[in-house]
Amino acid sequence: MASAAIPVPANAEKKSSGTAVKKSVVSRTASPNLIHEDSAAAKAVRYFLIGISVLFIFVMMFLPLATVIKEALKQGWAAYKAAVTDDYTKSAIWLTIEATISALAINTVFGLFAAWAVTKFHFKGKKILTTLIDVPITVSPIIAGLIFVLVFGRQSVIYPYLKQAGIQIVYAVPGVILATVFVTFPFISRELIPVLEAQGTDEEEAAALMGANGWTIFTKVTFPHIKWAFLYGVVLCTARAMGEFGAVSVLSGHLRGKTNTLPLYVEVLFQGFEWVPAFAVSSILVIMAVVILVARNIFEHNAKTKSGGV
Amino acid sequence: MKEKSKRVIPGLGLSLGVTITMLSVIVIIPLASLAVFTGRLSFGEFIDVITNKRVLASFEVSFVTAFIASLINAVMGVVLAWVLVRYDFPGRRIIDGMIELPFALPTAVAGISLTALTSDKGWIGRLFDRVGIKIAYTRIGITFALVFVGIPFVVRTVQPVLEKLDGTYEEAAGVMGASRAVIFRRIIFPEIRPAVFTGFGLALGRCIGEYGSVVFIAGNQPYNTEITPLIIMAKLQEYDYGSASAIALIMLIFSFTLLFAVNMIQVRNSKILKGGR
Amino acid sequence: MAYVELKNINKSYGDFKASDDVSFGIERGKLIGLLGPSGSGKTTILRMIAGLESPDSGEIIIDGKVVNDIPASKRGIGFVFQNYALFRYMTVFDNVAFGLKYGPYAQKDKKYIETRVNELLDLVGLSGLGKRYPSQLSGGQRQRVAFARALAPNPYLLLLDEPFAAIDAKVRQELRSWLKQIIEKLGITSIFVTHDQDEAIEVADEIIITNNGRVEQQGTPIEIYRDPQTAFTAAFFGQTGYLEDYRKFKSFEPIGEIDKAIVRPEFVKLTKKNEFQKFKTSAVEATVERVSFRGNYIEVGVESNGSHFVARRELEQELVSVGEKVDVFIYRIFVTKGDKAYLLQNSSLREESVVI
Repeated sequence: MASAAIPVPANAEKKSSGTAVKKSVVSRTASPNLIHEDSAAAKAVRYFLIGISVLFIFVMMFLPLATVIKEALKQGWAAYKAAVTDDYTKSAIWLTIEATISALAINTVFGLFAAWAVTKFHFKGKKILTTLIDVPITVSPIIAGLIFVLVFGRQSVIYPYLKQAGIQIVYAVPGVILATVFVTFPFISRELIPVLEAQGTDEEEAAALMGANGWTIFTKVTFPHIKWAFLYGVVLCTARAMGEFGAVSVLSGHLRGKTNTLPLYVEVLFQGFEWVPAFAVSSILVIMAVVILVARNIFEHNAKTKSGGV
Repeated sequence: MKEKSKRVIPGLGLSLGVTITMLSVIVIIPLASLAVFTGRLSFGEFIDVITNKRVLASFEVSFVTAFIASLINAVMGVVLAWVLVRYDFPGRRIIDGMIELPFALPTAVAGISLTALTSDKGWIGRLFDRVGIKIAYTRIGITFALVFVGIPFVVRTVQPVLEKLDGTYEEAAGVMGASRAVIFRRIIFPEIRPAVFTGFGLALGRCIGEYGSVVFIAGNQPYNTEITPLIIMAKLQEYDYGSASAIALIMLIFSFTLLFAVNMIQVRNSKILKGGR
Repeated sequence: MAYVELKNINKSYGDFKASDDVSFGIERGKLIGLLGPSGSGKTTILRMIAGLESPDSGEIIIDGKVVNDIPASKRGIGFVFQNYALFRYMTVFDNVAFGLKYGPYAQKDKKYIETRVNELLDLVGLSGLGKRYPSQLSGGQRQRVAFARALAPNPYLLLLDEPFAAIDAKVRQELRSWLKQIIEKLGITSIFVTHDQDEAIEVADEIIITNNGRVEQQGTPIEIYRDPQTAFTAAFFGQTGYLEDYRKFKSFEPIGEIDKAIVRPEFVKLTKKNEFQKFKTSAVEATVERVSFRGNYIEVGVESNGSHFVARRELEQELVSVGEKVDVFIYRIFVTKGDKAYLLQNSSLREESVVI
């Protein structure tokens, strides 16, 4: 910072306190920024910091989005429309939706049960359990894909049985779904757990004491507390599920029209030097991303202000 | 068991049962298979796999680029968090929302658009090409993509701490005559330091394992711009499951250690603040 | 016969013994105060009666039935939580109606529920506030809602965990007498937990004193005050001072080895040198160390024979000042030995045969 020119050794603080007190009398306000007069140096620092922040966001966030749009429309609307309405694109959209909905459904069930178990009871091994729940977040997507290949692939001990039963998981749709579920596994539970933790168990105890059953307690007493946190988790889960690339890439086998999700299809097009279609398909995901960002901001705001109550 | 049947709030058995079953099927058993498949290698084979020159080079590429990107993110993250919390200016809310873009934008899309942006025909690439710097298909490009991926981790851990920072400490220091620079260095920075380390650790963990946004921009030249996840992918395509597992296990151990370190930082910090033992 | 009875209850949390062979009985219709310092196990007892915790061993009997294996929801009790545990996302009306809508006492008749809830809101003086949410109420109002909610399903037994702890001092005073009146009016057997002795004395018909997981004594407030049975009760109740060596104070018959000699302010008669002291011969000299105005009396801290204790003087009496030499006469002391407490009368009183 610019005003760093005045080093203040510990024993010099007393000497300079006289002038500082005078200054603070001038600006008797709660904001710590106003202790010092808004000097030219401070202004310069502020403009400098705002400047590099804006530049950073412009280069790192805005330009990539603009690039997608620019490249997608490079050959005009007709080419764009053709790429977006292509049959392979449509089937990729459907598979993406399928995988996302599966991940949402499974992780919602898991998230609600896990959050209930972890926050409403005391039992041995609770810390280990909460740590294990968060593990998928730290695992590289490629490893996430790899482990399912190991469990269900040709070299696995259960492969012969799966084959006999006619179930194919690796390089097929179930594999894509499994990979998506894995990478988004803790997304809902980790939003719910802190909220329920903070809320405590008093209300549930009171309801149970009056004889309400588990379902009534959950729907009438607990759920209103976690409604927004839950929706927030759903949004995060959706974002990651529809965009997952690495894990899905390992398990899908890249069969056009069969096991390609939207991000995989983008890769296929890009590696095949079909730039305009690649960016056109990407633009669908960009639009989804923007929608998610907006929803995220709304839900996060509500989760902060509307939960907590009293 | 007798104890449990008398708990007042219902549903422990059911919720714990569902939780543990799903966790086992989806997370624990698959992850354990990694150890099983690595175990099929002899110790010598294991060492051979992970000390293979190309593999070691990939460790270096992954670690160096992730580390530099996370350092950049630590600095930029603090600046962004500071600007968003302390200053008010037109467009602040948009910037605040945009920080989250790397979480929302699919990595593959980020990957190809960053590649297009930084190749010699792109808006950014063209500028740097004139001074002879190539971004796409070099380590600079990988770092660039990882900065994109990691930035929200630092901002989102530092921001809440800055928001909660009690202004009276700063006022107290100000009244005693400390300059702004001293206030930042001696009062504010120690407060946000644990959050910066945590954000740095989280970003590093994510960057080490990142695949989607990097593969396109990396160029994937062996020994130069080939990242570890790509090596695993290649081993898989050769059906060399043992080697893939071994390399994956090393990565996994690294990420768990990192996660542990991050947790230690948080535990230590909360002890200082809450005065525990 | 006792309506609620605990027999040899034990309960531990790890190494911590929350209940150590607890036994007591409570008569129907009584308002009982469970009094003890924090960590004494009083809340655990309350929660076990409610069925929120289960004892490791021993029996809990309500109305002649062992209820150990009956779930909390079927014991027919109302429970007022320390922080009320009001459902924050429900209106006051829905909070009170909850026990009538769900559970074993659920009512099908919507009209009945409405009438009953409004009746209760009237009772607790909150009629018209049914549509509010708990966050829109004051602390005292929330407590009343919690009270109404607990009463709604017509419980046989009402349990209150530190019912006044979360309320500021001024409102607390009003609520105490209000709660006592209303419980008397309804005639419902009630047990409340508190760590505040004034509260217990003022509200309860009977007090059970707990310490270290054990029941120290049970009795009416006046019995416990006058006749503490244990060392803990003698020291816990009232504002206690200790005599270093009671034999240095006149007219106490020495009795063997003791642990402590406890003196309460009411046991001390403090007179200025120029005032009439009835038991002049048995009084000793003391030095005033501290004089504090307490609103409706004056508290005087004195030193005598190396002991420090407290006496009281009326506002109408002449003021004493710090450093002044005064006479103190001690009517009685409690002496403790081990767990037991004994009353020791000043023998000069016996001669006069004065009884207080």
